[in-house]
Amino acid sequence: MKQIRIALWMAIVGGVMTTVAFLMAFFTSEVQLFGTVTLPKQITTAFPLLSGDAASGFMYGRPWFSQKIFYFHVPFAEASFLVFTVAAYFAIRFLMTRKKEYDTKTRVAMEVALVFVILTLISGDLWTKASWGVWWEWEPRLTTYFIMTLLMVAYFVLRNSLEDEERRAIYSAVFGIIAWIDAPISFFITRLIPSDHPIVFKSGMATSNLVPFIVAQVGMLLIGYAVYVVRLREERMRERLEVIKESLEG
Amino acid sequence: MAEKKQSIHISGMRQFKAILKKDIVMELRTKEMLTSMGLYALLVLVIYYVALSQAGSGFDVTRIAGGLLWLAIVFTSLLGLNRSLVHEKDQGCLDALLLAPVDRPVIFFGKAMGNLLFLVIVEVLVTPLFMLIFNAGKYAGIATAGWLAIVLLVGSIGIAGVGTLLATMSVNTTGKDFVLAVLFIPVMFPLLLATVAATSAILTQHPDMAVYWKMVGVSGAYDAIMLSAAFALYEFVLGA
Repeated sequence: MKQIRIALWMAIVGGVMTTVAFLMAFFTSEVQLFGTVTLPKQITTAFPLLSGDAASGFMYGRPWFSQKIFYFHVPFAEASFLVFTVAAYFAIRFLMTRKKEYDTKTRVAMEVALVFVILTLISGDLWTKASWGVWWEWEPRLTTYFIMTLLMVAYFVLRNSLEDEERRAIYSAVFGIIAWIDAPISFFITRLIPSDHPIVFKSGMATSNLVPFIVAQVGMLLIGYAVYVVRLREERMRERLEVIKESLEG
Repeated sequence: MAEKKQSIHISGMRQFKAILKKDIVMELRTKEMLTSMGLYALLVLVIYYVALSQAGSGFDVTRIAGGLLWLAIVFTSLLGLNRSLVHEKDQGCLDALLLAPVDRPVIFFGKAMGNLLFLVIVEVLVTPLFMLIFNAGKYAGIATAGWLAIVLLVGSIGIAGVGTLLATMSVNTTGKDFVLAVLFIPVMFPLLLATVAATSAILTQHPDMAVYWKMVGVSGAYDAIMLSAAFALYEFVLGA
């Protein structure tokens, strides 16, 4: 019960943090601009965009709002890699110990990772449309990440088509480890092969941008962990219920 | 008598040969794997003709020939891998192998080698045919055949190795061949990308050997990583 209470608090704190990060992304981080527009009269803007007087009117910087997706897209992606790695770790632990709890942990961690992966894909897609002008590009990072998504889906397909419980646990652990090999490939590929995908933290970031980013990252990980704990507890209770049912029937 | 005593402790190499021989003998008797894989590959080529039939005369097929060739190999190997392991399971051979005093890694290498062998035979038959009917080898010289053989072999080793592991899992599922496709294609993806790049690099009008060797290297690295993973994990799969 104590764990659930902690998880609940984590979810609340994480929710507050991501909300704060959202507001900070717009109001405290720097507004990145691309190009300027000249308007005939002065307008009121929420952001300091006025960059000077031109001969024909007032010159405004064009705010690059799609850049704000960065504060959520990158934390989602990093969380997905992290949680996937945790899932692979539990898979290895399962093969070492053959304890059923690790199988459940692998599955629940994989579910949480899949949620982060889907959020990454959606947020990334919006950014790609705004920034590159296309919904999808077969580019090294996007491709390997998409393959990672398919591998995670395949993990659940494999699970669902196995009936024997022990066999399901072993096979899915084996496949989880094989699938995980794609994670480091996807993570490092932008540093190895020329790619259109931006590389974060190569050139450093201004503090005003780094703070909302970190707040969002920590908030998401807290929510992710809370979901993981609650789901794990649900699964454990379901398993206990099964055992009770069986003993009552038998 | 001396021979009998020796047979109590059979070396790994002899176990490996025995498993491989079993597959070959079974194939020689039924000729099922090769006919089904070969015929299937041929049908894929026919479908390619349909797909390319409206491309027009200005279309240079060598630009996509690498991709087409590997696509045919992937589909054919999917079919072959599934059959190879379904046989093992339905006829109870895998259980018998597990009962026999054979090291688990030897079973993996024996099965993978058998799958590799059949895949290579089908490739040897289908690749020249593919080159011929689509005129994909129009810029190719004699040396190209050698380079093509290298990349085909490196790719096939990866397909057979990882495929054996995944097919051993998928034959025990309710979805069988569907599950194999779902598992196999994403896992194979990096390898296919590299082998297609390497194959295309040598088939185009201006062969780019730097790209070719780089991509063969990437495929080799994939083989090394995936085969070690498959080798290490096969024992768990067999034990389940």
